[in-house]
Amino acid sequence: MKKISRYLNVIYELSRLDFKLKYYGSVLGLFWSFLKPFFMLAILYVVFYEFLKVNIENYQIYLLLGIVIWNFFADATKDSMQSIMAKAPLLQKINLPPFAVVASTIIHSFWTFLITLVAFFVLFFVSGSQLAWSAFIFLYLIVLLVALIFGTSFLVVPLYMRFKDFGHIWDIFLQMLFWATPLVYQYSLVPEKYLRWYLLNPVARIVVDARNAILYHFTPEPKQLLITTAVIAVIFFIGLAVFKKYGRTLIEEL
Amino acid sequence: MIKARGITKLYKIPHERRTTLFETLLGYVKNQLSYEDLYALQDVSFEIRRGEMVGLIGKNGSGKTTLLKILSRIVLPTHGTFTIEGRVSPLLSLSVGFHGELTALENLYLYGAILGLSRKTVRQKINTIFEFAGLERFEDMKLKNFSSGMIARLAFAIMVQTDSDVLLVDEIFAVGDKDFKPKCIAVFEEYKKMGKTIIFASHDLDTIAEYCDRTILLHEGKIEMFGKTKKVLEYYKTI
Repeated sequence: MKKISRYLNVIYELSRLDFKLKYYGSVLGLFWSFLKPFFMLAILYVVFYEFLKVNIENYQIYLLLGIVIWNFFADATKDSMQSIMAKAPLLQKINLPPFAVVASTIIHSFWTFLITLVAFFVLFFVSGSQLAWSAFIFLYLIVLLVALIFGTSFLVVPLYMRFKDFGHIWDIFLQMLFWATPLVYQYSLVPEKYLRWYLLNPVARIVVDARNAILYHFTPEPKQLLITTAVIAVIFFIGLAVFKKYGRTLIEEL
Repeated sequence: MIKARGITKLYKIPHERRTTLFETLLGYVKNQLSYEDLYALQDVSFEIRRGEMVGLIGKNGSGKTTLLKILSRIVLPTHGTFTIEGRVSPLLSLSVGFHGELTALENLYLYGAILGLSRKTVRQKINTIFEFAGLERFEDMKLKNFSSGMIARLAFAIMVQTDSDVLLVDEIFAVGDKDFKPKCIAVFEEYKKMGKTIIFASHDLDTIAEYCDRTILLHEGKIEMFGKTKKVLEYYKTI
């Protein structure tokens, strides 16, 4: 028990540190957290709505929900890799579990996610949309998303520690995944023959279910939700095992 | 009590360091991944009684820091086991948990958490800590504006607040000024009286001679000698 509360305390203080450092000395401070997804929204909106004439109702809301979820996933996994490198000198000299560093980074990203989510809901209600009971499933989807981010970070962080060029590989992979997730287009546009592979992408599953729950007021099929949960559970536990096995030793070798 | 049995630490040093995936794959293809074995520690066994202050000496690269890191559970031994009764506090390096952009006070909370102190405990001890460090007026100053001696004092002041039974100390007085060292020594003397166990790695043989009951001499990763400090130091001077 004492150990757990000690870890929690370290995680809390480290995420506080991340927060302070990120916004220290920047004029707009926290506001950057809003600006980034909204700029992304503006760009994608102009290109896809104005130029390519995507025919989706309430496209800005549709787009923004996807972006908020996607940014959380992409930023948290990238930041975990960087923060473990930044804190390597600390980890090499103090008995601090590497897990705490990853967890604190993800928690920090989680706050940013919540802030942008609030911005999303402001826009959502301003545009005259309404929530239904199905929105409760979104809370479960957030839990899944956090578990997915932990699992993915546990996998990519050791790879990054071992191979310095993995950062580039992950960047490319994220770019691929961005387009393999129905963020700017509708999921129904994906050709049948790709669908089997497409649906292996847990981020895509979460984005589709979240949109259904919040924008279209229906809950995902239990079977599909179960599959999503299972896929994420597999990623989480494989990640945990890999991180447990290699996390410590790789830090020694950095 | 500390009991170590056959602790060995092997570092595999690649002849050609491959840090990228590309290089590693290339290495596999060419079948050229060769390593040099470096034993930082080799079959190290010892027992230290409760309340003892033990010196740890040896030339640079003899394995002192590695041994302390293993006992602190920062580094895993390749072979061997050890047991330590009670809570361990490693004082391996001052200031490593500090961050220049935070104020002294914020740093104390952060460092305290790393050392296992809750926010509440740190808050209660703030005055004691700043007083001990002699930095009462600098609470809200950013740490990047501190001198290295001030940082060392602050770090030491919070480190000694951890209520541990075993202290592992690695040459941390090198940074402070002449007033800093006696202050540290005084703390250790008090700890000794309280029955805490201390392992003290240093090149400062005079301090070791004065305060350590027994001393371990490491040489190329092996225990060359472990016994009464006076004898070990005499032997150390001959090699």
